[in-house]
Amino acid sequence: MSIFSRSVGAACAALTVLAGAGLAVAETKTLIVVQSAEPVGLDAMQNNLQHSLNVALNIQDRLFDPLEDGGVAPGLAASWEFPEPTKLVVTLKPGLTFHNGEPVNAEAVRFSFERLVNAELASPHAGRMAQIEAVRVIDDLTVEFTTKAPFAPILHLMSYYLPILPPVATAATEKDAFNRMPIGAGPYMVESWDRGGDVVLTAFEGYWDGAPAYDKVIFRTIPEESARVASFVTGESQIIEGVSVRSQQTIEKSGKGTLTDSMGVMPYVGLNTLAGPFADQRVRQAVNYGVNRALIKAALFNDRGMLAAGPISPRTFGADLTLEPYPYDVEKAKALLAEAGFPDGFETRLSYPTNMTQIQEQAQAIAADLEKIGVRAKLEPLDRAVMWEKYQAKEHEMFIYWWDDNPEPDRYMYSLFHSNSRDYFYDNPATDAALDLGRSTLDRDERARIYGEIDRALYEEAPWLYLYIIPETYAVAPDVTYVGRRDGFLFMRFAEPAAAN
Amino acid sequence: MLRYILMRLGHTVLVIVGISVISFVFLHLSGDPVGLILPQDATREQIETLRREMRLDDPIYLQYFTFLASALQGDLGRSIYTGEPVVGLILERMPATLELAFAALLLALVIAIPIGVLAAVKRGSWLDTISMTVALFGLSMPHFWLGIMFIMVFSVQLGWLPTSGRGTWAQLVMPSAALGLSLIALFARLTRSAMLEVLGLDYVRTARAKGLSEAMVVGKHALRNAMIPLVTVIGMEFGFLLGGAVIIETVFAWPGVGRLIVQSILDRDYPVVQAAVMMLAIIFVTVNLVVDLLYAWLDPNISFDRSK
Repeated sequence: MSIFSRSVGAACAALTVLAGAGLAVAETKTLIVVQSAEPVGLDAMQNNLQHSLNVALNIQDRLFDPLEDGGVAPGLAASWEFPEPTKLVVTLKPGLTFHNGEPVNAEAVRFSFERLVNAELASPHAGRMAQIEAVRVIDDLTVEFTTKAPFAPILHLMSYYLPILPPVATAATEKDAFNRMPIGAGPYMVESWDRGGDVVLTAFEGYWDGAPAYDKVIFRTIPEESARVASFVTGESQIIEGVSVRSQQTIEKSGKGTLTDSMGVMPYVGLNTLAGPFADQRVRQAVNYGVNRALIKAALFNDRGMLAAGPISPRTFGADLTLEPYPYDVEKAKALLAEAGFPDGFETRLSYPTNMTQIQEQAQAIAADLEKIGVRAKLEPLDRAVMWEKYQAKEHEMFIYWWDDNPEPDRYMYSLFHSNSRDYFYDNPATDAALDLGRSTLDRDERARIYGEIDRALYEEAPWLYLYIIPETYAVAPDVTYVGRRDGFLFMRFAEPAAAN
Repeated sequence: MLRYILMRLGHTVLVIVGISVISFVFLHLSGDPVGLILPQDATREQIETLRREMRLDDPIYLQYFTFLASALQGDLGRSIYTGEPVVGLILERMPATLELAFAALLLALVIAIPIGVLAAVKRGSWLDTISMTVALFGLSMPHFWLGIMFIMVFSVQLGWLPTSGRGTWAQLVMPSAALGLSLIALFARLTRSAMLEVLGLDYVRTARAKGLSEAMVVGKHALRNAMIPLVTVIGMEFGFLLGGAVIIETVFAWPGVGRLIVQSILDRDYPVVQAAVMMLAIIFVTVNLVVDLLYAWLDPNISFDRSK
């Protein structure tokens, strides 16, 4: 079958070339995208797994289009304004419809919001909308959101997590069924989904940005990396996700495609600042001086990626770009340890979740460096659920974890450093106050200044051993143009056939 | 006979309950799923609410009895991520797994029996030595490695077969071969030894004495009797096929239960893992039960009272 179709394909290609440009062939343009894990559902409201949202976000569009710098561009919305700091008024583009023909209007926006926060749906994104108190339909195309307090990240959060759904069809469909065959106003519509097998999407002609370049996009799952890479080099797929450093070289050597980075992951070593040696700021700074992060990045990640100076990714607005990453300085580290009362170092534990990219090697390299300054860290590889359990029980001393390289500073800074949030290892009233101010200030420049201050303070405080931001890599076939996005999502309307050369 | 059947049935139920307890306890000892289900920016309140809803704060025996009570009513729970009943999720993936298992079994039988018979008939010849060495080799190769090698050779190097997926016969070839290869080895060795035993028996000599052709003697009289131990082993091996399918499905992106289990373990979707393990276990013990009963029925030499 496959040889047959491939020879037919080759023959067709040859014929087309022979016939020249004069022969216009109406052929279906299909793009096959391979992921490492299968989607569990396609309703973007119902789950938070990357591989599911990668598909779902192509089907269900949002009011705003997320930008790489944390800002937003118009999506289904044409414009928006904040008449008061707690009120957001959104005006929709006129004349848009959902895949099933229902109009995209203010009522649909209100319906979608209420569905999302309804406890019965148990949406993992409900918490992200917690600041929104009410939604009011002003007229057919205008809708007003009221927040409890001024809330700066709202546009960013809505640009990912508030998909707009057709009220009539959604309400009439049971939620399990909707999760399998959702309807939205996105660039692609669901044609079929064979659980465990392919999700077949077809282009939606009525998309606000015009029909996407591919008539069909097929999302396929191949969990095993070498099989995934094999499917790519044999030409069975055109975009593959989850390409490790080892496979990157295979793909580059094969000449069958190019790599695109999306800069996804920010690993860090969290320190238990509440108890033990790391309660002392000097010890925390010492470990920052004592690990040669530049070398680890070069050796393990082919020098792709960038070093982090403080907790805010250098690509995120608000990061203080004048901060220099702690230099590798063994003497300085030892001196700080001695000053803190540990002239001979100490024993500690370094936990890490086993599912992270090349984590074993990173942990070993970090531990080896620490040993040189006298910090003898016992490696503790843990399943990530166990890891999290210990985290919650405050049982870690040093732990490797990660955050995505998010363009909105509030997303991770609040979650990781506010005492009210889920990081259980850092508690500082000054930081709390600054983070509260950061999320309630709507002026972007003012916000950037606030986060810059937080970045500097935490650089000094050093509740983490800051590491680097490493890219998530995709391989892209030569006949496709697609640039990996910073958020890592596979928005396939940005993929198009490469110009013939 | 009835007493034997009842005893075997009771035994089977006991095994299933045992498996449910063990898998339940191990799953729940393997970490807290809540942190993985909620987004990274979830607040403490959200985390605690979900823990309460999932009744994760109950003592484990209580959680188990809750599970057991609904399981007895045919409800194995709902997936944490999709909210769908897990039984449905598993059943829709079952045909793919069974297809793979049967294809592997069929492939193994078609190849192994002739090899085994030939090796027995030509006992001690170079054919015997070579086929049995190859069989041993096949028996000791891990499925996973074999699967990857197949892809590298037949898809990447030769371009003959698609790397993954399900739908066409071409997609079935490599996964079923990778899964079936160790069985070929096992069945071939078994056929050979069973044949050797039978070939020395009186009735085979009688058949030969009657002037029947050698092909008739071997093919009809000897092989048929040599098949009895093979049938038992096929029943037993079926369970191992399902287990092997877990790995093969992951390598070849075969959309079966095995891959569902692997992914659900990674996602910490406990109800799905629990139910899938239970269902595979039930298939496994049921097949064994049926084989035992059939065997007892077929072979009057087995004494029911002494068998246990």
